[in-house]
Amino acid sequence: DMSIEESTPSGPLTVFHSPEAFNVKHPLMNHWSLWFTKPPTPGQKDAWAHNLKEVISFDSVEEFWGVWNNIPKPSELAVKSDYHLFKAGVRPEWEDQQNKIGGKWAYQFKDKRAVPIDELWLHSMLAAIGETVEKDDDKEIMGVVLNCRKGFYRISLWTRTCQNKATLVDIGKKFKQVLGLSEKDILEFNSHADSAHSGTSRARSLLTV
Amino acid sequence: DIVKATDPSVPSPAMTALRSARLLEDLKEVSYPEGVDSPNPALNANATDGKFKYDRDFLLQFQDAYTEKPNIDWDARIKECIGDLSESRSKMGS
Repeated sequence: DMSIEESTPSGPLTVFHSPEAFNVKHPLMNHWSLWFTKPPTPGQKDAWAHNLKEVISFDSVEEFWGVWNNIPKPSELAVKSDYHLFKAGVRPEWEDQQNKIGGKWAYQFKDKRAVPIDELWLHSMLAAIGETVEKDDDKEIMGVVLNCRKGFYRISLWTRTCQNKATLVDIGKKFKQVLGLSEKDILEFNSHADSAHSGTSRARSLLTV
Repeated sequence: DIVKATDPSVPSPAMTALRSARLLEDLKEVSYPEGVDSPNPALNANATDGKFKYDRDFLLQFQDAYTEKPNIDWDARIKECIGDLSESRSKMGS
């Protein structure tokens, strides 16, 4: 149809120009994998590792939205479900070699009914894939995690190390904004080693912002 | 109008475009349609070969632009990794 061709821009076509015939997509700085932890079924042994599965990996903005627009939202998930969005090649576990010396900034949202968890999780992922939480040379961000629990939602940002305090504090402050927290809310940083030893996430915090 | 194919084993045009589109190497290649904002230029002042940062507002514009599933195996993948949502909803209430 000549009339359509004539009105088509000559440059690359983005998804905004043509949702069904775009020929360029927007690369992400990193390749990312989305993982899901299914709640254990009663009586299941070693459920956690068994129920952790990589759903998809992707490296473009367009693919990310294909995933987000077609996957259950946090508010729809059963208790004990987790999402993990990590750089491809890193398992979202303390035990992964690449997480051994790392830690995490974490916040628990205790009023599950009031918190806009779908939006906060989306914003957390967008901050990760858009690479707007850390400076170019920091190379700290490993991934973001959403935990759905009986009494709270928790969103965490995992970092590669837990030593470089100035860098980690900068990252924590940015992440606090991403989560829409106010000055009086406290975001806590713990090393994975401390979290593992205490058996819970109640270890004394290394840093707070 | 042509009726859209609904055969689930055939990738939709959007899925095909997603798979075959090339990754942009230079954001300046693109002129966005009116009403679509470019990524914040300050974020990419030092960007090299296809390594870009994107602000939230730029990324949110894509939400309604690509709504198709990422691939034709998606429903099976979700069922395997996440499960049946109606199942998890009923668990949530228990």
